[in-house]
Parts: sequence; C-alpha cells; structure tokens
Amino acid sequence: MDISFSEQDLQFQEEIRAGLNGSEYPLHVREKQQKGVALSKQDMIDFHKFIHSKGWMGYNWPEEYGGTGWSPVQIYLFLNELALAQCPTILPFGLSMVGPVIYTFGNQEQKDRFLPDILEFNTWWCQGYSEPGSGSDLASLKTKAVLEGDHYIVNGSKTWTTLAQNADWIFCLVRTETTQKKQEGISFLLIDMNTPGIEVKPIITIDGDHEVNSVFFTDVKVPADQLIGEEGKGWTYAKFLLAHERFGIAGVPVVKVQLEKLKNITSDYDDANLSKKIAELEIDLEALEFTELRTLAAIAEGGHPGAESSILKIRGTEIQQRLTELFVEAAGQYILPYEGPDGFESNKTPAGPDYASPSVAQYLNYRKTSIYGGSNEIQKNIIAKAILGV
Amino acid sequence: MNLNYSDEQNMLREQVLKFCETNYDFIDREKILDSDSGYNEENWKQFAELGWLAVPFKEDNGGFNFGPIELTVLFEEFGKALVVEPYLSSVVMSGTILEASNIPEKSEIIEKIISGEHQVSVAYAEPNVGYNFLDCNTTLSKDADGFSLNGSKSLVLNGGNANKFIVLATHDNAPALALVEADVEGLSIQSFKTLDGQTCGELTFENVSVSSESILALGDEAKLLFNKMLDVSILCISAEAVGAMTSSYMKTVQYTKEREQFSQPISNFQVLQHRMVDMFIETELTKSLMIKATLQLDSDDPEASKTISALKVQVGKAGRLVGQHAVQLHGGMGVSNEMSIGHYLKRFTAIDSMFGNTQHHINKYQS
Ligand SMILES: Cc1cc2nc3c(=O)[nH]c(=O)nc-3n(C[C@H](O)[C@H](O)[C@H](O)COP(=O)(O)OP(=O)(O)OC[C@H]3O[C@@H](n4cnc5c(N)ncnc54)[C@H](O)[C@@H]3O)c2cc1C
Repeated sequence: MDISFSEQDLQFQEEIRAGLNGSEYPLHVREKQQKGVALSKQDMIDFHKFIHSKGWMGYNWPEEYGGTGWSPVQIYLFLNELALAQCPTILPFGLSMVGPVIYTFGNQEQKDRFLPDILEFNTWWCQGYSEPGSGSDLASLKTKAVLEGDHYIVNGSKTWTTLAQNADWIFCLVRTETTQKKQEGISFLLIDMNTPGIEVKPIITIDGDHEVNSVFFTDVKVPADQLIGEEGKGWTYAKFLLAHERFGIAGVPVVKVQLEKLKNITSDYDDANLSKKIAELEIDLEALEFTELRTLAAIAEGGHPGAESSILKIRGTEIQQRLTELFVEAAGQYILPYEGPDGFESNKTPAGPDYASPSVAQYLNYRKTSIYGGSNEIQKNIIAKAILGV
Repeated sequence: MNLNYSDEQNMLREQVLKFCETNYDFIDREKILDSDSGYNEENWKQFAELGWLAVPFKEDNGGFNFGPIELTVLFEEFGKALVVEPYLSSVVMSGTILEASNIPEKSEIIEKIISGEHQVSVAYAEPNVGYNFLDCNTTLSKDADGFSLNGSKSLVLNGGNANKFIVLATHDNAPALALVEADVEGLSIQSFKTLDGQTCGELTFENVSVSSESILALGDEAKLLFNKMLDVSILCISAEAVGAMTSSYMKTVQYTKEREQFSQPISNFQVLQHRMVDMFIETELTKSLMIKATLQLDSDDPEASKTISALKVQVGKAGRLVGQHAVQLHGGMGVSNEMSIGHYLKRFTAIDSMFGNTQHHINKYQS
C-alpha cells in the first residue's frame, strides 16, 4: 500500500489547476459562484464550453468515444481541482448518465448522432425517470410508449425533472409492455424536447428556486430509432447508469472547500461549540474521502463499485446537509431576511453577513440530497440486502 | 398542581382552531405571503373583533388580563396553521413593554393596538451585536429639547407595517427603551420578506428627536423589562413551534398512509414508523418544557428564565428533527413549495434563529 500520488499524477494536477486559473476561464461564472449567486442557463453553457475547450469534458469517458480516458485517480484529482477553483458542478445528465448508456448500449448511428453534442455541450439533457406515482418504486412507472409504424406514441407524465426548462433532450424510461414482472416491460427512449405534445411545468422548491419540473407527454411521436438497445431492456440500462452516476456523488471536494470557507468565516466568532461541530464534520469527511479513495482504488484494479457506493451516497449527503446547517447556525438571526434564491436587489441589502441568505437557500435546497438519486432509506435497503444479506 | 387547561382556555383554543380552519388553508396563506404587507388586514380585524388582540393587556386598558397560559394556547394553534399575522411583534413584544411603562400616551396606544388600528414593533436587533441585544450601538442622547436617536436596527418584525416602534438603544452606557413614530423625521425603513414568509425591516435613525415623554424605561428598569419581553416572546414562539410540530407529524402520518410505493402504503415500512415515533416523542417533550416554562412565568418563579433557555434549546433541536424528518418522509413532495410541509421546516428554522439560537441558549443555561 502507498498513500502518495505519483509524480505524473501531481503533474496532471498542476496542469488542471493552471488551466482552471487561466485567462480563458469564464470569470463572470466564478464571480457568481463566489458570491453564491444562482447561475443562468448561459453561464452554465459558458462553463461547459470552457471545459470542452480544454478537452476535459469527457473526463469520465473512454478515449474511443472522445473522452479523456483518465484513470480513476486522475478523475478524482480533476474533480478536486474543479471544486478548489469554485467551479459549478459539471452537469451529470448528458455526460454521466445518458452518454455512457449510449456508448455502451446504443448503435453506431446513435453514437455518431448524440455523443459529440454531449461532449461539446450543444445539447442539454434531462432525466425522465420519476413519475408522480413512481419514485422509490421506479419500476412501477406508467408512461406508455406504443409502437405505431416507425414511431412510438408516448403518453404519460414525468416529475421532478431537473432543469427540464433548459433541456433540449430528455432520456426516459417508458413502459412498452405490461408484463408480469414490472421491470421487464420498460424501455429506454431518447426524446427531443421540441417534439409536439410535450409540456413542461415548473415546480418551485422550498428555497424558492425553479430547478425541477413536471413534464407531460400527450401523443408525442418519437422516431423508433431513438430507442436505445432492445425493447424491454430499459431497466438493465438504467441500473447500469446508476452505477456510473456514483462517481463523485459523495461531493467530497466541494464540501472540503465549503468547510474551509466556514472555518474562515467563523475563525473570530469565539464559539467553542461551533468549532467542535466543524471539527467533527471534518473528521467524518476524512473518513468518507478515504472510503471514496478505496472505492477508486478498487475500480482501478478492475473492480466494479457495487452496493458500497451507497455508503458514498448516504454519508456524502448527510455531510453536505450538516454543513449547510452549520452555515445557518453561524449566521444566527441574520438568516431571517430572504427574498429568494437570487438574493437581494443590489440597492437593497439587509444587515448581517453576506453569506447568511445563501446559507438558508442552500440549507433548504439540500434537503433534496437525501431524497433524490435513490433516497437514503432506499440506499440502506440496498446495503442491507446486497452486502449484509438480510 | 393542576396541569389541565380551564374551560375558558379550551374555548379560546376551539375558537382559534375554528378560525384557522375557515380562514387559513394553504391557499389562503399563500395569498397572504404574496401580498406586499405580508399579512391579511381582514384577518387582523377579525383578531380584534374576537378579542385576541386584547388578551395580555390589563383590564383598565381594555384588555382581558390573561397571562402566559392563554398566550401559549393562541400560539400553539397559530403554529398549527402557520399564521403569519404580526401578533408576536405587535401584541406580545410591544404589549409587554408598554404595559409596564408609564408614559402619558400609554392607554391610548394600547387601545389602538387592541382595536387593531395600530401596530407597534420592537426594534431590538442590530447588524453587529448578534444576540447580545443589550450591548447595542444605537444611541439615545440627551439634547436641548429632549433626546435624539442615532444608529440602525435590523430584523424588526413587521417593520414595514408598524405605526410605531419601541427602540432599544444605549443611553449613558445603559439600556434605554424609547417610543418613536414610524413617520418621524430622520427614520428610514426598508422592508424585507423573511425566509418563512413574514416580513421584517431595517431601520436607520438619523438624529431622530424623541421627547422625554416617549422614554419607556431607562437603565436597570429597561434591562429587566427587555429581558422579560424576551422570555415571554420565546415562550410564545415555542408554543407556536409545538403547534407546528404537532401538525408536521400528523400530516406526515397521514401522507405515509396514503402514499403507496412497492404496492403498499409507505407507512408499512418500519424505518419510517420509527421516524414518525421520534417526531411524536420530540413534540411531546417540547410540550412538557413549554408548559413548565409557562407556569413558571405565570407565577413569577425566579427559575423561569432558565427554563425558558432550556425550552428554546429543546425547540431548536426538536424543530430541526421534526421538520427534516417530515420533509424526508414526503420524498420529493417535501421539498415542493406547493406543499405545506416544507413551510413548517422554514418556520422551525426561523424560530431557532430568533431571540438566541440553540447554541446561545445552551451557553445561557450553563452560565
Ligand atoms: C430536487 C430533486 C431533483 C430530482 N431530479 C430528478 C430528475 O432529474 N429526474 C428524475 O427522474 N427524478 C428526479 N428526482 C426524483 C427523485 O429521484 C425521487 O424524488 C426519489 O426517487 C424519491 O421518490 P418520491 O419523491 O416519489 O418519494 P417516495 O418514493 O414516495 O418516498 C417517500 C419516503 O418514503 C421512503 N421510502 C420509500 N420506499 C421505502 C422503502 N421500501 N423502505 C423505506 N423507506 C422507503 C423514501 O425514502 C422517502 O423518505 C428529483 C427529486 C428531487 C427532490
């Protein structure tokens, strides 16, 4: 065993750091990130285009599909550097979710058609899995796709669809057959958001933000060549995707940076109890980070992260949520004035530290992290079943 | 010892409950939140007609002379429906201070509060002093014709609507409480929405003149009065939190019985049952401390302030647990602004931050 990174790894880290601090980086994005101001759609596009311009967009893809072919350790270092440079998170929907499904299960024509646009961020993807009646029990989904000639006719609704308002495409799990075993009738369909019959309605979350949506499908005609793989195999692809999505799900690098920020903010607060809570969180974070490294090492050895990655999801989101609580605690009563996720108009700011209002927004917003991506209760069910065998 | 509410107190509870049932469903409340003033004037008129605005005031000023027990009954019911009308600021906070003062205007102001004609807010917090409200930087200094106020006050509840303010300031290195009109020269007010859908204001005073007849209290008297106001206010928002916790766990139980996943109500899952039991237990424990504090305040027990700190700590802890579990058990619905459940979490968060948060009161309890 050896805990240190290799010379090459460290050199790699330097290159990334220099790139992120270089003059091509979209500064308006960094400024907003530093102030905790919400990013616009264009900001997100600018950021992703920058990452693409550096050749880093396919950071977790193999080279044959235009990816970097980086090792797990390089990916780890890359994500760390992004966090240190206060970058937004690279959107997972195209790159980490649908992309790998397309290059693993799609046909050549689909690969040629969709993969380059994902890497160049010409298309914004969203994930159409959850439905009003199917959340944790995803396999019970009801959105129906019926093959008529060379088109599927899709009817039904999806919900909690993150950033569907910005999306050009949606990848959906749809029911193509009613089978005894509910998993077997599910298929994986790519749908252009501009297709007639699709309606997107905002769902406002408790922080006041518009991040999720309901998406309604009424007789939506989807060309049959937008089906991935085989009909009825959608569940298998979805499970594959979930395994991929785990990369970086613990959010360690971002938490680390935020924790440093909190330490700086509170250094002169003279509050022993708060310092103790911060230290406890930091210790939990160390344990989590090294757990992630162990998982990475296993992948590098050719292993597959199985149910262990549920640890990363559970503990990672718990830590993220506790961190937001500590910011709120540090801000004390000054969290009270709150005009929404965009903050205050520039000519109208209340008293108290500027981090107060973004802290509440984050606290409320991050309640989602233990709910989405397979709730933490579901993750524990997975560990109980798959690892403990109970 | 008798831990039962009287018939009269139960009637008051019934009355508030009924009012909230008819006037305060989620959609009614949303409309109020969207309005500029952040409260409903019709509701306020009804509060006056029902006599609620008179609850804590002495009879010779037109009040009912009710004590902390009745206030907690009101607030517990307010909490269940997440009532946003400025009862805390205008009746409890201002009322406690005015009632103990001797200024000439006293009965006239109290009458106007009781009739709903006027609202009064206490300006106690400041940008830089945290929870040490009495160490404030706003100054009240003597000048030729009386006094003059300078400085700024923050987080003034209902600050955008109040007709008058009771301002905590420093005079001769000691606390002072002074009454000023909202439209007095030299006072500027900026109003903000709060995280839980109420409003608060930032007040800036520039050489605002205050006549000596508007000085409510000075020195130790001001300090005692202010601390008493804090205790009563904490008691009221704690009762409100108990009501909000009760609604939160009951709504969660209801929701999990109706929501089906894996072909069964999710209330079948034992892990969720235990969470709801925890929510219930915390609510009951909070209620116990709330009642203890109420009775101690009612009998001027010297231990009351310490129990109030214990209560505030319990409210912070339990509010966080109940609010977070309630959201979690609702899944995505829990984080949707269209469901009431997330609004309870916001109110718990606001309540914890006010008048000293959990940590502040742990320290106070220990000292
Ligand atoms: C902000 C946000 C963004 C999202 N983005 C997307 C997106 O882009 N695309 C998409 O498809 N979906 C998205 N989701 C949906 C998310 O995946 C679901 O919310 C999640 O799967 C939970 O489903 P549910 O909300 O229906 O809750 P439910 O499944 O109804 O769960 C309610 C509660 O019951 C618990 N529970 C359920 N079953 C069990 C069990 N067997 N044992 C123990 N406890 C159980 C849950 O843990 C939860 O606490 C998003 C959700 C949120 C909140």
